Parts: sequence; C-alpha cells; structure tokens
Amino acid sequence: MMQETSQEMIDCRKAAAKLYDLLDGQLTPEIEQKLRDHVSGCPHCFTLADFEKRFLGAIKGIKESGCCPENLRAKVTESLRAAGFRG
Amino acid sequence: MMTETAPVDAAAHEAFSALALTAIDDVYRFARSLTRDESDAEDVVQETYLRAFRSWTTFQTGTDVRRWLFTIARNVFLRSKERGKREVTLDDDGAEAVDASEAHDNWVRKGLDPILASSELGPAIEQALSEIPDAFRTVVVLVDVEDQSYEAAAEVLGIPVGTVRSRLFRGRKLLQEKLIMHAQDAGLIPTSGDAGRPS
Repeated sequence: MMQETSQEMIDCRKAAAKLYDLLDGQLTPEIEQKLRDHVSGCPHCFTLADFEKRFLGAIKGIKESGCCPENLRAKVTESLRAAGFRG
Repeated sequence: MMTETAPVDAAAHEAFSALALTAIDDVYRFARSLTRDESDAEDVVQETYLRAFRSWTTFQTGTDVRRWLFTIARNVFLRSKERGKREVTLDDDGAEAVDASEAHDNWVRKGLDPILASSELGPAIEQALSEIPDAFRTVVVLVDVEDQSYEAAAEVLGIPVGTVRSRLFRGRKLLQEKLIMHAQDAGLIPTSGDAGRPS
C-alpha cells in the first residue's frame, strides 16, 4: 500500500499518476478518499478514471478466451499418471 | 529449493486433482505469457505439473495454489531457457511522470474509446500483450488477468512490490499504445489525426 501524507493536495497530474493505485486498492483510506473527492468533482479525471476502469475490465476479459487446450490437459494427466498420480 | 516428495495417500491425490489440476487454465495462460510460444508454453505447463505433483506434500493447504503453481512455472521457464541471465534492466523510475501526462492520457483515451467498444477487443488485447516486453507482460497478466495481488505477483516473479507497481503502470500504458496502433491498422481510428500524440 502506498505510503503518502494525507496533507498533500491532489491535482489532475497527481490524480492521473495515482489512478491505477486507486483502482487497484493500493492507497491508504485517507489518500483514497482525497483522490475520490478530486475525481468525482473533476470532469477530466472522472472521464479518465471511467476509461481506465473499462480498460482494466477489458484486459480481465481475455481470461475467458485463454483456456488450456484439451490435448494438453490429456498430456498433463498422462505424464502425471506415469509419475504415479492416481487421480 | 523444494524437496520432491510426491503424495502417497489417496486423499493427497484427490486434493492435487481438486486444487492443482483445476488451475490448469490459469497456469496455461501464464505459461503462454512467459513463453509467447504455444509449444514452449505446453512444455512449461507439463513440467510445472510434474514438479508440482512431486512436491505436492510441500504445498501448504489453505494458501493460494495458483500463486504456488505460477512460481513453479516461472522457475521452469527460467531454467529451461536460462532466461534469468538475460533479464532486462528496466528503467522503472520516472516512467510514471512521463506517462501520466495529461496529453498522453487524452491521446490514449480518445484513440482507445472506439476499440474498447469493438467486438475484436479480446484478440486485439492478446496481440498487444504479446508485443510488449516480457517483464511488463508477466506483471500485467498476473495482476490484471489472473487477479493476483501486487504482493503475490512480487513473490511469483521474485521482485519487490514497488517494481511490480511501476512495471504494471508502464505495462498498461504500453498496452494502450499497442492497442492504438491496432485500432489504426484496423481502420477504427484515423492515422492522420495524431496531432495530439506525444512525441
């Protein structure tokens, strides 16, 4: 978790630099609240945060399309059984 | 180094099947992100599972089996390719100050909006991921695709948490730039409207 002083001011540049920390839950509660306050009140940062959230969601979406091929599953099971696996 | 002690009782075999084998999709995706080659990824997955089985009694029940398997997979990959000696030195410091500029963010956001709505988004992201440097790709895959925490990714990759954070930031920005290029190639956004693109 990022260690920041709660006194620091959040401007757009700082908000952009810490946006991923916010979306990844890496900030202290105090800094997170300051950043959320700035983002919710700043149209530019709000739009940017919305975009980054969609972008990260899109990356997560590729998980659905990257399944292990059936022939590889079979090969893994076969080699495990040769090593003594009884599953 | 893990001691190789394959399980002997039926319950351990069942646990290996229920916990480790059910994570094969995740291990496969991570292996592909490491190798960028289908055949090499298959070798890594097979060797990872053999080592995991032989070391299963060292796995601590209740801990994250995927983190354990990812760590084995990375070690298998490094050993097979002797990639450890060729780890690139990355200039992690200062990347954020450059990439977080408002001009960059505006440029990326405007360019990426059309592709985020595209039906070809998944393949485009996979292609873009394959084009960014290994050190960034593995962190993005572990954290963003496999939902590993910064701390877990640091443990799997043997790097400090701060390095995970900076590589993640840089990797995501590189990914966005690759996606912009993909969108231009696909005709989703014009290539001539780059006036706001940072040099």
